[in-house]
Amino acid sequence: MYQQLEARLKSREPVLLDGAMGTELVRRGVRWRKHGLLTDADSVQRLHEEYLAAGADVMRTNTFQLNPRIYLNVFRNRQHMRHIGAPGLEDLTPRLLRTSVRVARQARANAGREKQAAIAGVLAPLEHCFRPDLAPAFEQASAEQLELARVFAEEGADLLLAESMNTIAEARAVAEAARTVGLPVWISFVIGPEGELLSREPLAQAIAEVEKLGAQAVLVNCAPPAEIGRALAKVKVATRLPYGGFAHIGKFSPPSWKFEFFPQFTETENWPPERYASEAQRWREEGATILGGCCGTTPAHIAAVNTSLHARREGARSA
Amino acid sequence: MSYQAIGKKLGAGETVILDGAIGTEILRRNVTWADHQLASRPEFVRGIHEDYIRAGADVISTNSFQLCRRALYNHFRDEAHRRQIGATDLDDRADKLLAASVRLAIEARERAAAGRPVAVAAAITTLEWCFRPDLAPSPGQAKREYREIFEVVQDAGADLVLLETLNSIPEARAALEVAKSLGLPCWTSFVCDERGRLFTGETMAEMVAALEPLGVDAILLNCAPPGDINAGMKELLPYARVATGAYPHIGRFDPPEWVFTDEYPPARYLQVALSWQQMGARILGGCCGTTPDHIAALAGLRQKTGRA
Repeated sequence: MYQQLEARLKSREPVLLDGAMGTELVRRGVRWRKHGLLTDADSVQRLHEEYLAAGADVMRTNTFQLNPRIYLNVFRNRQHMRHIGAPGLEDLTPRLLRTSVRVARQARANAGREKQAAIAGVLAPLEHCFRPDLAPAFEQASAEQLELARVFAEEGADLLLAESMNTIAEARAVAEAARTVGLPVWISFVIGPEGELLSREPLAQAIAEVEKLGAQAVLVNCAPPAEIGRALAKVKVATRLPYGGFAHIGKFSPPSWKFEFFPQFTETENWPPERYASEAQRWREEGATILGGCCGTTPAHIAAVNTSLHARREGARSA
Repeated sequence: MSYQAIGKKLGAGETVILDGAIGTEILRRNVTWADHQLASRPEFVRGIHEDYIRAGADVISTNSFQLCRRALYNHFRDEAHRRQIGATDLDDRADKLLAASVRLAIEARERAAAGRPVAVAAAITTLEWCFRPDLAPSPGQAKREYREIFEVVQDAGADLVLLETLNSIPEARAALEVAKSLGLPCWTSFVCDERGRLFTGETMAEMVAALEPLGVDAILLNCAPPGDINAGMKELLPYARVATGAYPHIGRFDPPEWVFTDEYPPARYLQVALSWQQMGARILGGCCGTTPDHIAALAGLRQKTGRA
């Protein structure tokens, strides 16, 4: 499956990612617990199907920021978790990761796209994606990311997509983990207000490091569209790898609790699908080939990007 | 000030009933908890307060657990990042919701107390996560942030502050000093472990020695299973001279939600509360997992003398 995708990337054809899972599930009224994978797997599957119908070539598992730390962090320690926590919390993460791949695979089968759409196992920073100061050291991150990557490999994900990576060290840890489990990996960085990684480390250096470790594509995500556009101009001169981006739209509206990343973005109405698609079209014209949507985007946004990419291709052909 | 009636009861050795859980009760009634539901479903929150008042609570606590500016800001790298991608109302969202939480409790009292004295306690916890004393800010920083919070709830009309699920003496002391400087009655409630110690390892004796001289109005234990609370009460009661109390959680924490179990139905819950009353505790209520039925079961304890 991945070979097809690789061939398209090599020939600089565009590849369409899907849009947001978490924010869209919450917008649809899914109660955010266990990423909806236990209580609302049918809603998750339906959303995957809608993204496929919108034209997505890559389906991202609904596993952003899903790792054992998000549960352990809200207890005093492991012993306290066993003492007052729900049964099964310790083994919950691999179970949810496996479910996420199965749900995506079922959606792909229902859409009859087994031969065309790839399933990307989504990895993310182990601590809060917007808090690079909390990131574990490289060795620790390597060990934990490897465990997650291994589950995706066992479940038959076609590739890994590390999203919203906020430090170079953790991005390297993911790239190495992917190599160890034998899966291709795309690495995407969250862009801070300075236009570099959220950690303030230079984007160009981050790209060089993961390229060395065998990343097959680099992306930028989880910043507003204009900033993704500016970051892509930097990516363009920093790498010869295929590259791309997926912006969030609207404003992050966090919960007043400490639990895991809570996917709620408001004010997304300022970015109707056509406006987002015209922004993505500009990225395409600048040489980005992997395009999709981050928090706040919906199947309608992906469909609009798809339409605009096709229009461009048709136009190129008739010219 | 509705605290006077409560303070008088405690002074006379009478038992005071605190309400039960609000966060988990919201979940149990099948509503998500994301923004405390203060803005989106205020009548729903007020209804739960009313149910607790009708069940017999003398003190109701606001739906404001962990509601503070820091909890919202922690989701961002820093101010520049918050301005870049954050919702535009974050600067004053916590204050507005805090004030709303007090207002809703006061409204519930007006609708349901039927002339009975009921005090509204602003429920405030640690500034960082309640089970993680390692994350606590410095006492100086904590004082600045607690002052902001307490001023909001005082202006909104809270009768006392209930500092709950505290995990360390330094943060408790910082918060208590601020509350007292504002003239607010203040109960401090701590989470404890199976040995009856605070999560920092500090002892009940050390905690009592630190807080009583500062004028704490009552010391309680909460947010641990009944067995752990029992261990804590045994450690606490020999030292405390102020009124003491307990409100354990029942069920299991299933982040970000809760598993309700039938291990402690109201009748059994009453039995453990009664045992603490007999040991000397005078404030009894419920933490996560408890319901108005549990509080209704406790209401009869008010009539018991049960002196230790």
